Amino acid sequence: MARVMTAPASSPSSPSSSWRRRPWVRWATPLLIVAVLAVLPLVGTEFQNETLARIGVFAVAVLGLNVVMGYTGQVSLGQIFFLGFGAYVTAYGVSQDWNIVLVFVLACLLPAAAGLLVALAAARLGGLAIAMVTIALPIVGVPLAKRLNEYTGGSQGLSARFAESPEGSGLYDDQWTLYLVIAIGGVVFLLTHFLVRGKYGRAFAIVKGNENVAASMGISPYRYKVLAFTIASAIGGVSGFLYMLVIQYTSPETMSFGHSIELLAAMVIGGAASIVGSLLGGAFYVLVPQLTNQVDASLTALLQGAILLVVLFVLPGGLASLPRALTRGRRRLRAGRGPAAPPTTPSSTPGSGTAAEQPETERQGHA
Amino acid sequence: MAAELTLQDVSLQFGGIKVLQDVSFAVEPGQIFGLVGPNGAGKTSLFNCISGHYKPTAGTVRIDGTEVQGARPATLAKHGLARTFQHPALQLHETVLENVLLGAHTRLPGGALEWAVRLPRTWRAEKALRAEALELLERNDLGWAAHLPADELSHGLHKGVELCRALLMKPRLLLLDEPAAGLPHAEVETLIATVRRLRTDDDITVVIVEHHMGLIAALTDRVVVLDHGAKLMEGTAAEAQSDPRVIEAYIGKDAADDAA
Repeated sequence: MARVMTAPASSPSSPSSSWRRRPWVRWATPLLIVAVLAVLPLVGTEFQNETLARIGVFAVAVLGLNVVMGYTGQVSLGQIFFLGFGAYVTAYGVSQDWNIVLVFVLACLLPAAAGLLVALAAARLGGLAIAMVTIALPIVGVPLAKRLNEYTGGSQGLSARFAESPEGSGLYDDQWTLYLVIAIGGVVFLLTHFLVRGKYGRAFAIVKGNENVAASMGISPYRYKVLAFTIASAIGGVSGFLYMLVIQYTSPETMSFGHSIELLAAMVIGGAASIVGSLLGGAFYVLVPQLTNQVDASLTALLQGAILLVVLFVLPGGLASLPRALTRGRRRLRAGRGPAAPPTTPSSTPGSGTAAEQPETERQGHA
Repeated sequence: MAAELTLQDVSLQFGGIKVLQDVSFAVEPGQIFGLVGPNGAGKTSLFNCISGHYKPTAGTVRIDGTEVQGARPATLAKHGLARTFQHPALQLHETVLENVLLGAHTRLPGGALEWAVRLPRTWRAEKALRAEALELLERNDLGWAAHLPADELSHGLHKGVELCRALLMKPRLLLLDEPAAGLPHAEVETLIATVRRLRTDDDITVVIVEHHMGLIAALTDRVVVLDHGAKLMEGTAAEAQSDPRVIEAYIGKDAADDAA
């Protein structure tokens, strides 16, 4: 019988995943992250803190895009619209002296509602059509922001300051701002991290992978696309709130189509369907223009394009896939050096009757 | 409780092409029912009509007496219908266990917000179903593969994983689309044993589309033979195998194809 399945039952799939599973690592890692984030704002210069805060803003925006595009596979070219919407809601709310908590909730809910409305219509269309509809968002958003003078300040834009560090805290404004970004962004990252595991993570992934199978599992592809899009819009709204917190100024230019494409590039470079990738994407979005500006301001776009190409050529899965790529490379190296590669399929176990008939080097199975 | 499936005059048309014409049959609760016929006879189309992936142009499909034609697959899944596909579509980069857990979707409680804040009842349910999925894999000799990425397994094992995924839905009606396609002989035997066990242990009605006549003969209580989208005959597998019309539909057509 070919079904002699005494393959290594507890063999870890890779060495890196075995140490990651140790209990103390699982407890210590979050603690370490929290500790670093708590100290970080206190040690940096003002410029470094501002840069980090901006990375936080765009990491949240990229995270939202990742929910709908990385995890659920629906191409969205309109994420920047929700950032802009959230920023405008925040600026308007602050200018009207509303309670800042209420402003935050509105900056989250109004973009979510807009996203829901768009998604209800767009998710009916399959494939590229949804991308086309989402292109319309920033294209409509910019002139709309210019027109609605009363609320948006027209082409001039709106500015708002609402994050002066509280008296007696002993913090500079930039430190206080960074703390707020870390706290709010951290919560959003944590919630998303939980969401994309378990029930909803699997559902999003199968909607991306195969809608027919999804439907057979009781997962309505339409409903889950709408859900993912709405969540992405809400997270976009939060990033808009943070944008106002850090940049303190928004104009129609904030939500221009070009920025939307840059966000998309940042998501792909950071790593699609990856929480860490969203953070790396945010860092890419902020740091690379800074870097290329320093090299030669006239070559910024060119250098950015070159970096994009190089990263994707070397790491198609984005920066977040680097550890996995390294593990795989090391495994391949070891397999190439000696015959002692670990067996991954059961039929290479001694005792399986068919093993002798098959060529030794080919990966084996029962097909 | 195993479900009862009744089809009455089901027809399906794509533009001018009649794929199915007035197909009627009834599957009693707990039966293992075969759907056979030459390539292009309309077996998978009929399957898709039952599972909601196609909407029949005419006729009714009833599960336990309730008309379900035109209902969406996701709705039918909640009513206890599960199916496998000719080409098992697994999430290849995910582990086998994660793939099987997808079947638990409708059994896991809680909305997106509850999962995002990781409410205790969500992860408790996840933990319980994870254990159930592992046990299911163990019972089907796949326990050793639970934590391997699906793309490290062979095609035959993918079919086993897909079956586990469907079973974790706790279906009352299970549709198997060519479960033996591409399997070596030894694994067909395992498959036969597995499906037999389903009937005794799990109380499920099973409908199988299959070319493998040995499997059909070994498993099914009744079969319907389709040819050119119409029902050719209904009876036991043995009756079907000796029916001259069936032999003509299979062999006659093949011979004609050979001559051409």
